[in-house]
Amino acid sequence: MTVHSQGAATAPQDAPHEPGGPKAPQPPQRPAGVPEAAPAPRGRRAALPSGWLPYLLVAPAVLSMAVLLLYPLAKNVILSFQKVDKIEFIQRKAPFHGVENYTQLLGDAQFWTVVLRSFLFTAANVAVIMVVGSLIGLLLNRLGKWMRLVLSMALVMAWAMPIVASVTVFQWLFDEQFGVMNWLMRTLGFSGYEQHNWFESGLSTLVIITVLVVWGSVPFVALNMYAGLTTVGGELYEAARMDGANGWQTFWQVVFPNLKPFFLVTTFLEVIWVFKAFTQVYAMNRGGPDRASETLPVFAFVEGQSQGHYALAAAISVLTIVMLVVVMSFYFRLILKQEEEQ
Amino acid sequence: MKRKLIAAVGVAGMMAGVAACGNGGDDKGKTDAGGAKEITVWVMDGSAPKAWIDEVNKEFAAKHPGVTVKVEVQAWKGIQEKVTTALSENTPPDVLELGNTQTAGYAVTGGLADLTKDKGGLGADAWPKSMLESAEYEGKLYSAPWYAANRVVVYDKKAFEKAGVTPPKTRDEWIAGLDKLKAADPNTQPIYLPGQSWYVLAGLVWDEGGELAVKDGGKWKGGLGTPQAASAMEFYKKLQSYSTAPKDKDEASPQQSTDVVPKGGVASWIGLGWEAGGAEKALKDAGKEADFGYFPIPGKTADKPGTVFLGGSNLAVAERSKNKELAKEWLALATGKDQMTKYAAEVKGSLLPNQAAANFTPAPGSFAEAMGKAGVNGRITPVTPGWANVETEPNPLKEFMTKVLKGEDPAKAGAEADKEIANRINK
Repeated sequence: MTVHSQGAATAPQDAPHEPGGPKAPQPPQRPAGVPEAAPAPRGRRAALPSGWLPYLLVAPAVLSMAVLLLYPLAKNVILSFQKVDKIEFIQRKAPFHGVENYTQLLGDAQFWTVVLRSFLFTAANVAVIMVVGSLIGLLLNRLGKWMRLVLSMALVMAWAMPIVASVTVFQWLFDEQFGVMNWLMRTLGFSGYEQHNWFESGLSTLVIITVLVVWGSVPFVALNMYAGLTTVGGELYEAARMDGANGWQTFWQVVFPNLKPFFLVTTFLEVIWVFKAFTQVYAMNRGGPDRASETLPVFAFVEGQSQGHYALAAAISVLTIVMLVVVMSFYFRLILKQEEEQ
Repeated sequence: MKRKLIAAVGVAGMMAGVAACGNGGDDKGKTDAGGAKEITVWVMDGSAPKAWIDEVNKEFAAKHPGVTVKVEVQAWKGIQEKVTTALSENTPPDVLELGNTQTAGYAVTGGLADLTKDKGGLGADAWPKSMLESAEYEGKLYSAPWYAANRVVVYDKKAFEKAGVTPPKTRDEWIAGLDKLKAADPNTQPIYLPGQSWYVLAGLVWDEGGELAVKDGGKWKGGLGTPQAASAMEFYKKLQSYSTAPKDKDEASPQQSTDVVPKGGVASWIGLGWEAGGAEKALKDAGKEADFGYFPIPGKTADKPGTVFLGGSNLAVAERSKNKELAKEWLALATGKDQMTKYAAEVKGSLLPNQAAANFTPAPGSFAEAMGKAGVNGRITPVTPGWANVETEPNPLKEFMTKVLKGEDPAKAGAEADKEIANRINK
């Protein structure tokens, strides 16, 4: 996810340079001087290779998207209108079921509980990630060379940790019988932590998952924030200082407006990422206890894989996508508005 | 530049083509390469001792030169999803082990080969009724019973001796003994019993005359909201109060035999033969000596032991197997009297073979001896395809247990569980 977005962000900057570079023997197509004479976007576009080459260049990406994303998506939508349980699955039948799966879901109180839980979980996670990530980003900017290196390394390591491995570590940290957390709480003098079960309720389980997700996501935000901060010129800070602004004011008046696009992109990336976070939630406690920590993707998995209601799970995931699209439409509106302003 | 690109694309395309060819070739080689056939057998972790299965394969190879048998050991965790997926594929394992509570659930899907006509060749007459029951569905045979096993209480002889406790015969004696153990050493759990050991609870429910689920008219309904289940759960709660084990975990997480018992501080626990063996080995690896004794789970009265869940496995042939006849022959060989006799001996009687003639006389004081005594009162879960759905996680039986252990009213928690059971068992 994160790698993807970075690639997408850098690509447009690199692209315009390329056409000027290659000195291919094609004089008729490229009248000398045109690129230099018109630095406006229109002039550059004229210098782009024409014919089949652009299509060929994007073909691998489009093709792999179609095979790996579009096809499964279409299949999934079709599946959500069929009846496929264990028996149909093994016998390879898929009778048309109309909107039965959807009506069953929309009339199911459990589904709505899970939806509400997913939204609250996402909101809480993204809020904490953005605040902590930004603070660490600011800290990175202020630190000396060596400490910054140490902190960056620590962040990258947290980021690079495979999810299931980190979940296993967290499970042991919060283990009821042998966990470090219970030991720590006892050592600090808190009572009631002899055999405290941290996964006793859905809320408590989700809080631990939140700690894990935040820990895993903060590096991305912090490092991006730091990268963004390096683009804010020192003279801006100086000017703010001259005007007598304190740290708080400097942040809101200078840093924030400058980094607004960064905050926007990162927040929405995190929304997507947390909303569809599956591994952390499922691996931690399999959606338990008593299905009380299931978010939408886990709900879909439990209904689909564990219970063998494949078509119902497809319907859940289609509804999840619809919800994400609705949420993301706000983002796209903001982006479009910005483009218009420019 | 362009030429290079074209070349690159060409190479990429060729690679894809080559890969595709490779795949096709592989597939053919596996299913039918004239003479060099292979059958795949899935066995569960702890089911098939290597020495025994090697022996079976040797005998099979002698009869069928050129046929190789590939044995793949599977873990119980998440096995239902895995088997379901495997049965839907073109090249499923040819022979596969299925838990006796799950067999009917697969029989109904059409994923298993109908073995009714092969009954004679499989020697079905020798199988006991309790085992045959789980292998059949609607009068047709879908698998061959392999082994059965039940849980007994495993205890630390030294701890029992120190507290002056002898193996109990009744529930009252059992509780009295646990009290003594607790008094003798407060740092030791008299019994390790996690909150979701539902096979143990099943036995207690049957002791009370209750059922996990009953057929009512054409439909099944759960039996946990009943007074019988409530009193069974009451006794379970009493037992569990002697343990510091988590109330929301089953015996496999953490694995009681290898993760908990070897750490010490456990005077007794309820387990299967392979678990006792695993604990012994883990203790040995830790430089300690296991000194286990075994007794059947005590009944309400001294005249008969407590009812136990008769776990076990069947061996089935996949309907989509490409070598069904070979698979059936392997099945007949493995579950036949000769190999079953060797099997029982190899596991020292800790698993009951599928026929009395193959029985192994267990050593006195062994796990197998206690298991044999308890197994007389063995029962299995409801034989209906929907039962497998009940067992899959999140398992309503386990949630029921955790809720009651945390103080919820058994009738209320039971009614909730029954609703979920009815919802799943009738599918």
